[in-house]
Amino acid sequence: MAAITEPVPQSPNQINDDILRVLEPPTPIYVLMVLFFATLVGIGLVAFLYQTYWGLGVTGLTHPVMWGVYITTFVFWVGIAHAGTLISAILFLFRAKWRNAVNRGAEAMTVFAVLIAAMFPLIHIGRVYKFYFMVPYPNQRGLWPNFKSPLVWDLFAINTYMITSIMFFYVGLIPDLGAARDRVRDWRRYLYRALSLGWRGSSEQWRHWSRTVLHLSGLSTPLVLSVHSVVSWDFATSMVPGWHTTIFGPYFVAGAIFSGIAMVISVLVPVRRAFHLEAYLRKEHFDNMGKLILLTSSIVGYSYGMEYFMAWYSANPYEQMSFWWRGFGYHSTSTWIMISCNVLSPLPLWFKWCRTNVLWIWITSIFINIGMWFERYVIIMTGLSHEYDPAAWGYYVPSVTELTILAASFGLFLTMFTVFLRLAPVIAIQEIKELWYEDRAHGGGHH
Amino acid sequence: MAQVLGVMTSPYDLAAAVRDLKGAGFRELEIYSPVPSHEIEEALDRGPSPIRLLTLIGCLTGVSFAYFMQIWVAYDWPLVIGGKPFASIVPDTIIGFELNILLGGLFTVLGLMFFGMWKTRKGHDAYQPGFSGNLFGCLVACHGDQIPRAQEVLRRAGSSEVRVVEG
Repeated sequence: MAAITEPVPQSPNQINDDILRVLEPPTPIYVLMVLFFATLVGIGLVAFLYQTYWGLGVTGLTHPVMWGVYITTFVFWVGIAHAGTLISAILFLFRAKWRNAVNRGAEAMTVFAVLIAAMFPLIHIGRVYKFYFMVPYPNQRGLWPNFKSPLVWDLFAINTYMITSIMFFYVGLIPDLGAARDRVRDWRRYLYRALSLGWRGSSEQWRHWSRTVLHLSGLSTPLVLSVHSVVSWDFATSMVPGWHTTIFGPYFVAGAIFSGIAMVISVLVPVRRAFHLEAYLRKEHFDNMGKLILLTSSIVGYSYGMEYFMAWYSANPYEQMSFWWRGFGYHSTSTWIMISCNVLSPLPLWFKWCRTNVLWIWITSIFINIGMWFERYVIIMTGLSHEYDPAAWGYYVPSVTELTILAASFGLFLTMFTVFLRLAPVIAIQEIKELWYEDRAHGGGHH
Repeated sequence: MAQVLGVMTSPYDLAAAVRDLKGAGFRELEIYSPVPSHEIEEALDRGPSPIRLLTLIGCLTGVSFAYFMQIWVAYDWPLVIGGKPFASIVPDTIIGFELNILLGGLFTVLGLMFFGMWKTRKGHDAYQPGFSGNLFGCLVACHGDQIPRAQEVLRRAGSSEVRVVEG
């Protein structure tokens, strides 16, 4: 195996220069990209207003399939939101130092993904202005939400995750906002001055900041594992064949981490190339993320197999029929896309050459994102369309409105991420510098 | 009180300077660093952050409030379901867990805002932009007659620049 020969930062000042250079005034291509993504959001907004005016009749949702693209996309974005916390919190507690280069991008991605995810149940209810019915607010009739319902657990889990992710992201950003404040000379200086909250890097500030990061990591670690478990209980606590299974908690969590890591790769590879960050987003980082993909892909693949095995072994005709329908029924194409993308496409990553080939792993990550969206689509749509009574079986075809809002969610995610690139350091400067000093103290060459 | 600032380029030199200054009897030290450093923290030996206690208080408040809210709501509108008790502790644990994390996190961040930002907002006349780049600063508060001694210790520890700070 040839040695990795990417450039190495020569000084802490160079680290500041390289990473803060991303904040410099945008190029026309960048502006066009943001406009394109924002246009997708605008089209999605029109579709949403159209749906709000005419009602859910403009979607493909009808009996028996009352959950469709919106809930699929909700679960998909919650899954995407898992990578940031995995990389920032869990790998922080495990002292995996390679995370330092990718954690900021992953945290930003987490915040944007969870914000988008939180919108989808609201879009799904049609009458979005009734969302507060889920919230335990004092009212004249003394009515409260049902705290024994997984949907209410989900409300609390997603909102807790959203607030905690935003706090984690912001706290980690404070020292770097201080560095940006000391460098930029335009209007953003006032923004960074306000957001850095008077950061000076004093010993007291570092002492409390380090403790805060440690505690937020400790709190976020069980949180990240719980959030997708709670989402999985939306399904597992029902009596729908294909949903009512105890495997769903770990199956969903593994799938979430799988898709989240893939999305980190999908967004960071173009950033690495566009902003010449090869010295920071190094091939060994992609190698390590490739290993995480292999691990989670194996868990997800095992879960797919185990679902079919349990359907057969249980001798439950409804369960067996549901899975037969999943593999060979009306929507079986979705199932085979899911299996091809999530189980087969990561297999070449067993070879180091593929993991360290940035283009290869980037293309694989795109396939995984597609496959993981289809995984949720398959679970929801095939489960609901083929329950117990053949007289109640049905089909579901997403409408143009639903698909437009789905596309707009990707547009919104990419708009937020591209704007973020110009407003805050995409790589954690102080963490890279910390590694730089450690490497120099131990006579190392690179981080 | 006068203040002497030593500027260095390594966290290890700074940690050594802190140890030497403390050994020489200087107690009021302020550090500026672009990175968190265990060496510097150990040399300063300022003990654990009070944020630990705030996290605990936040977590306990969150979990207590969650159980209280759910049990109170169950009795506020009692619905008999299969003769089961109104309050169900096991499912209540899920929202208990979520609010435990939520309030624990919020209290932790509020602690950072208070102890890390609000209480340290004054007395940074010696700060310079290089401290967010590649420079480390050690600020020593001392009486006028101790200035030469502080300067000597800082220089010996590897300071590239030593100066008296007005303020």
